[in-house]
Amino acid sequence: MKRTTILAAIGAGLVTVLALAWAGAGGAAAEQTVTRYDRESKYYRIRVVDYPDEGRRCLHFSKSRGIQSSMILDAADKLDLRYSQSMAAALAFHPAPQDVLLVGLGGASVPKFIQKNFPDVRLDIVEIDPDVVKVCQEWFEFKGTPNTRVIVMDGRMYLKRSPKQYDIILLDAYAADRVPFHLTTQEFIQLAKSRLKAGGLVASNLWEHAVNRFYYAELKTFQATFPQTYLCRSGDSGNIIVFGSLAAEPLAKEDWAKRAAAVGAGKDLGFDLADLVRKEYEPLTTQKIDEKALTDDLAPVDTLRREDPKHFEEAQPK
Amino acid sequence: MMRAGLLVTVFLAGAALMSLEMASFRLVEPELGSDIVVWGSLISVFLGGLAIGAVIGGHWADTRPSLAKLGLILAAAGVVALAVPLYADAVLTWTYPGAGAPLPSEWGTGGGGGTELNVYHPPDMRWAALLAGALLFGLPAVLLGMVSPYAARLFVRQMPHLGTSLGQLYGTSTVGSILGTLGTAFYLIALMGTRWLLSMNGLVLVGLGAALVIAGSLRRRADEAGA
Repeated sequence: MKRTTILAAIGAGLVTVLALAWAGAGGAAAEQTVTRYDRESKYYRIRVVDYPDEGRRCLHFSKSRGIQSSMILDAADKLDLRYSQSMAAALAFHPAPQDVLLVGLGGASVPKFIQKNFPDVRLDIVEIDPDVVKVCQEWFEFKGTPNTRVIVMDGRMYLKRSPKQYDIILLDAYAADRVPFHLTTQEFIQLAKSRLKAGGLVASNLWEHAVNRFYYAELKTFQATFPQTYLCRSGDSGNIIVFGSLAAEPLAKEDWAKRAAAVGAGKDLGFDLADLVRKEYEPLTTQKIDEKALTDDLAPVDTLRREDPKHFEEAQPK
Repeated sequence: MMRAGLLVTVFLAGAALMSLEMASFRLVEPELGSDIVVWGSLISVFLGGLAIGAVIGGHWADTRPSLAKLGLILAAAGVVALAVPLYADAVLTWTYPGAGAPLPSEWGTGGGGGTELNVYHPPDMRWAALLAGALLFGLPAVLLGMVSPYAARLFVRQMPHLGTSLGQLYGTSTVGSILGTLGTAFYLIALMGTRWLLSMNGLVLVGLGAALVIAGSLRRRADEAGA
């Protein structure tokens, strides 16, 4: 009898523990999510997940919880992620952009933003994964316009092959868990530079969970390639957008912000671009960075990403 | 003594082979992209080279095999590895030239219209990667592929122990390959550039080959003195 009682007690205890664990798990996952798409592509496992409580739809690659792209469901052409807003500052940097190239489609948030707010811009997008293009059309309301072309190809291969010149080249191909090293090196940034029209600009998104040596090596690489460089620290998101410009003279923060105000005037951008430029602008051209520029021969990206930054002189706002 | 030397030889040759393969990714990716198509092409080139080398090396091993000849094979592989950085740029530019015809004439029409998206699908890099890989790494892969059967011919003395001997030899070679892969992936790529990595492997192979040639001639002299 006694043994039975003990067993029953243990059983009851186990049931209680399990029930508590179940409730705890339920509590932690209180937010409802709906997986819309989950499939292996040639490059990633692509997932499209809805977060109805937030009214958002997000694009995830692989198992990573990192968000590649986010869309507000009832405002599909707004830039939801802070970093994509910082990328948009590039469109205010250039006085009159006509030809823009985006390397890395993601969830097509920047393309939709350009299509809506800069309809006269001729936009080329290079994306390596054909399934990402399909997912954007199916789940992220990405549609064609006569000014939009998508080229399914490696970004560097495209730039090497196509002689087309751009006013702005946006690089956003670092967003997977792996950083393709051939899109980080001085030779590649030099190639992008060679595809710029006079006064053109390259903007690159660097995304990580934590700031590390790779960031600074990449900033150094931009410094080594362009006469003028700037960066925008995109809040606490871990994103840094680095800008390299062919302009001989630096662009002061207030001038950039004024242009941003002019660009935003009469448009419903969904955020204050001039305010963003004022908050995030940092001149990079003359800052000392204690890292070597990355080259095709030596670009230990994966190693650098695991190491803490050595030294960086914080910019003094001008 | 000779058997220990042969084990060291296949170990180092295995390490150099995989180190070269890792280096080949780093050398080719910037020019042809970090696409799975490129990796697959390079791996196939190495395996193809090993297959051809195994057939040739095995055949040669049946006619008066010697340590010195094995040394020459290794040294030749090392010389080619040393030379690869010298002609890599030319080969890679030739297989995938720079700015050609502008879109869309080269890559067809996007097929879109209205709200339909214009999507272009240029051909991928599979043929360029196979060709560049074969031109750059085909020869060293063939030469290193010759090492295993050739070393086996020298290593195996008694047919009843053929299995044991071959097992030891192939096992040692594979452990060398593992260390070559890990050492390169974990440390060497970050420590030295791709070109230095190729040169270092070349030097190791040339040094190993020279050691075998010397050991072979010493052995022959000893044999002649003994006889």
